[in-house]
Amino acid sequence: MPDTDSTLRGPISKKLKEFTVVDMDVHIHETPAALAPYCEMPWRKSLEHLSTVPQRYLDIPGFSPNLSVYPSFPDSGGDRRSTVSSASQMRQDLDSLGIDIGVLFPDALLSHASIKNTDYAVALARAYNRWMVEEWLDSDFSLKGAILAPHHDPHAAAGEIMRYAGHANVVAIYLPTSCVDPLYGHRRYDPIYNAAQDTGLPVTFHSVGAIHPVFPFNLQGFETGFANHIISHPFSLISNLVSLMETGVPVRFPNLRIVFTEGGIGWVPWIMLRMDKEYQERRRDIPFLKDRPSTYVKKMYFATQPIEEPEHMADMATFISLFDGEDSVVFASDWPHHDFDHPNKVLQIPVEDKVLRKIMGGNAIRLLNLNESVT
Amino acid sequence: MTREYLVCEIDELPIGGRIVVRVRNREIGVFNVGGKYYALPNVCIHQNGPLCLGAVSGTLNASLETEWKLEWSHEGDILVCPWHSMEYNITTGESLPFRNRQLPTFDVLVHDGRIFVRM
Ligand code: FES
Repeated sequence: MPDTDSTLRGPISKKLKEFTVVDMDVHIHETPAALAPYCEMPWRKSLEHLSTVPQRYLDIPGFSPNLSVYPSFPDSGGDRRSTVSSASQMRQDLDSLGIDIGVLFPDALLSHASIKNTDYAVALARAYNRWMVEEWLDSDFSLKGAILAPHHDPHAAAGEIMRYAGHANVVAIYLPTSCVDPLYGHRRYDPIYNAAQDTGLPVTFHSVGAIHPVFPFNLQGFETGFANHIISHPFSLISNLVSLMETGVPVRFPNLRIVFTEGGIGWVPWIMLRMDKEYQERRRDIPFLKDRPSTYVKKMYFATQPIEEPEHMADMATFISLFDGEDSVVFASDWPHHDFDHPNKVLQIPVEDKVLRKIMGGNAIRLLNLNESVT
Repeated sequence: MTREYLVCEIDELPIGGRIVVRVRNREIGVFNVGGKYYALPNVCIHQNGPLCLGAVSGTLNASLETEWKLEWSHEGDILVCPWHSMEYNITTGESLPFRNRQLPTFDVLVHDGRIFVRM
């Protein structure tokens, strides 16, 4: 397998060199062995044991339960390194991609919401947060962290948010989104949104491809990764966005900033218009909204990856304009995962440079309260 | 004006092998597929990934002739881009997912035990 050092020699365009690029989503490789020393007992025992069992990409029993039910053929998954194991390796990779600042998310714990044992899930989240802060954020100031909030115990999640909010390189809260039950609009999660609002950290909904009997349901009906991947990511974001709206989260937490990652952005105008349409008829179901749902959607942030790639990238400019995304679309690469986007692709959207600068970095700098100036 | 550029000695490119060289400021991948040589640019039409560093493989097909059953075919003819796994047929430069898009191909010649590409 060629190492990324040789496969990442893509051309760095002039704009890419010139612009400040903030990447809302890059992934670090947390193995059970790496987290074990940071994990409390008795769960450390479990991580030590899991370190000895065979592991596959984003699929570790009891840690990243992926339930892969599809046949597997050789050379279907990109012949290059798809994990990043140290801060220095991440810095080198991001340099090769022309990215200045990266916001870190996990690999295996993308499936964190599917773990059932509450105490174990909380211990894993705590171990991950300790490990990330100590081994990644303290060594490279261009790497920023999102604190994993275990949905299983919203008070414990709020505790994690408060614990790390003061750290200079903690810039967001990560809410594992696929397989979450109940959906994130449920009032049990209010402590998380309170903590987010109090600390000024945005909440980031990040999806993953997973088969699970809760929404996005019916994924078990598909027989290919093709179908699963298309539906699982955007639908888990869509269902949670609608859930936030139906319980009035954007109204009840007016200063809460909300980000959606890893579903692309093509779905945003569609669900926004569907919600407005229903609101016209069913306003009394959700009387706490003060205006149409689109008013609130337009204040949320949407990360680009996996960016849709129509034949004419001008169509993406239209999509973005439909939800006034000039100030709310944020670049994400998803490096080093199989479907990462090179920043040059997003730079192909034919909008004015001043808009591109916002999408590539300016919007994220404002969202994450970074001390950068936009170039 | 086209010219011939030395790629390597034939011993350096056995069946199933590939070599990536820089010719006239372009990176070119030269492949030996079943004893025949093919040359492709090392730039993927998707997001410009270095496709010639990808795996050489076969692929899956299904059609009326196979009664819609999946069939493993083209072993050794298929190049899979290391960035996002887009498949190409090395022998034609065709992209499998985008039938209307294709890579430019270059002539490969052999003289005196050495392989040349014409560009
Ligand atoms: S760059 Fe080759 S598949 Fe994306």
